[in-house]
Amino acid sequence: MRSLPHDAHTPAEQWAATTRCRVVGVRRFGAFAAVELVAPGIAATARPGQFVMVTVPDGGFLLRRPLSLYTARADRVGLLVEARGAGSTRLAAVEVGEALDLAGPLGTGFPTQGVAGALLVGGGIGCAPLQFLADTLAGSGTQVTAALGFRDGRQARVAGAFDLPRLWVATEDGSVGRRGLVTDVLADLDVPASTTVYCCGPLPMVAAVQRWAAAAGVGGYASLEAHMACGTGSCHGCVVDTSRGLLRVCSEGPVFALDEVVAR
Amino acid sequence: MSPATAVDLRVTLSGLELEHPLVDASGTFDLLEIARRFSGDYFAQFPYAAYVPKTVTADARTGNPPPRVTETASGMINAIGLENPGVEALVEALPALAPLRQPVIVSVGGNTAGQYAAVVRRLEEALATGGSALPAVAGYELNVSCPNVGGGLSIGVDPRATAEVTVAVRALTRRLVIVKLTPNVTDVRPVASAAVEAGADGLALVNTFRAMVLDPATLRPFLGSRTGGLCGPAIKPIALRMVAEVAEALPKVPLVGMGGVMSGRDALEFIACGATAVAVGAANFTGLEAPRRILDELRAECVARGLARVADARGIALTAGA
Repeated sequence: MRSLPHDAHTPAEQWAATTRCRVVGVRRFGAFAAVELVAPGIAATARPGQFVMVTVPDGGFLLRRPLSLYTARADRVGLLVEARGAGSTRLAAVEVGEALDLAGPLGTGFPTQGVAGALLVGGGIGCAPLQFLADTLAGSGTQVTAALGFRDGRQARVAGAFDLPRLWVATEDGSVGRRGLVTDVLADLDVPASTTVYCCGPLPMVAAVQRWAAAAGVGGYASLEAHMACGTGSCHGCVVDTSRGLLRVCSEGPVFALDEVVAR
Repeated sequence: MSPATAVDLRVTLSGLELEHPLVDASGTFDLLEIARRFSGDYFAQFPYAAYVPKTVTADARTGNPPPRVTETASGMINAIGLENPGVEALVEALPALAPLRQPVIVSVGGNTAGQYAAVVRRLEEALATGGSALPAVAGYELNVSCPNVGGGLSIGVDPRATAEVTVAVRALTRRLVIVKLTPNVTDVRPVASAAVEAGADGLALVNTFRAMVLDPATLRPFLGSRTGGLCGPAIKPIALRMVAEVAEALPKVPLVGMGGVMSGRDALEFIACGATAVAVGAANFTGLEAPRRILDELRAECVARGLARVADARGIALTAGA
């Protein structure tokens, strides 16, 4: 695997203050909701790969939920929510006219400068940051190919939320796209070693992308997910294992160099 | 001046004057990290009356394997495992805290009395030579109650072991010594008495409750360390009961009450149960605005109840004569 220094990019600007943001659009894709909010402050500084802490409305939930920025266009940001537990189910049921409390943008972003060609790999809800990333890369003239993997056809409905010119889809049950894992798609692609791979998904998927990247001689980045409490670096609750030791997803991440993530 | 600002929120914790009763619960608000990462002057805007940093141990600790946190009904469970870079790193970081107006109370952890003493000895040495380049360290909070290390048995379940730690630290410092108690005992009062008899100036309670959460898919323990500590609103009624018990047993000992404080009313309830100061923990995770909101609510609660001084509410929930 080609090793890419993670600190090659300047740290992204981060804001911890909470802003109440109006929901102006909701598109639903099965258990997923693509939520559009008016958030000029966040949209102005956000970089792809960064996230926001979102308060679950109506009280009853203690912790905020970390959500990747799915889009950032003009004065608006988009969030992609998959209804999984009680908190994300409430967030996914949000309606136009409601408001959500957002803090961010937080965390490191994906480095996007000087990228010859980009391969984006997402698994399940891990596909969330890839639209914003693709928009940014395309804006600087980088050719983008994307591969998204899902459990089944139900989960794959969220692929409809993505506007990507070269998009491959895999489902484990074969109901949509190629049957198998998203990394099976990668094996079929002709990827030059100068490509930068960007992946986001569960750790087993990251491990599979690492194996593929090592064989293909490709370097890249992985954005990781973790249960999070503070989201601002205080509590050390969201650590993941890396070659640099246990690091916080909220502070040193969520984006890490692909080869430093210890994924099994 | 509006009536809301006329309430006297000042309290005195064993000689330490605080501008209001709220402090952060150790490990829930990392001022240096927040000031370094985020736009805004977080030193000038520091909302608490004293700063209690994350527990420091003699040597660096890597903490527990992930996952370490998750939400529970009306609360959360955590098992960080006292991850910290060790006392030497804190000594190096101390000058960065010098701009802080408020006093610092250093939270100290360890497995033996000797380890607690080693941390306090090193800090006293640094403070003796650091002068005005260092923040005002008002004292130490001895965390004898972390449920997430050493298999879950903490020093704080044993009155004798708690006394031993307290005696060892007491001998090294004239600063405030506060012992933070665990709720994971049948009766917290013997441990509280032992700490006070060993020289503690005050007590903080409660730390988190040992607890377990299962992964719904696998029915195996969710946390990497299997068990963790429960905090948040779920524990507040138990914490109030324990603070009241200690306040009634040891009426002269200043207490820092904590456990699920999410609002100004919650804070006032701890004061009514005998606390002088109140620590805010899990609420910090709801947003950096939470402490300022809780303080505003506490002031408003005092106004609504006709309390000229927040200290006047202290102990009103306790039985007469206590």
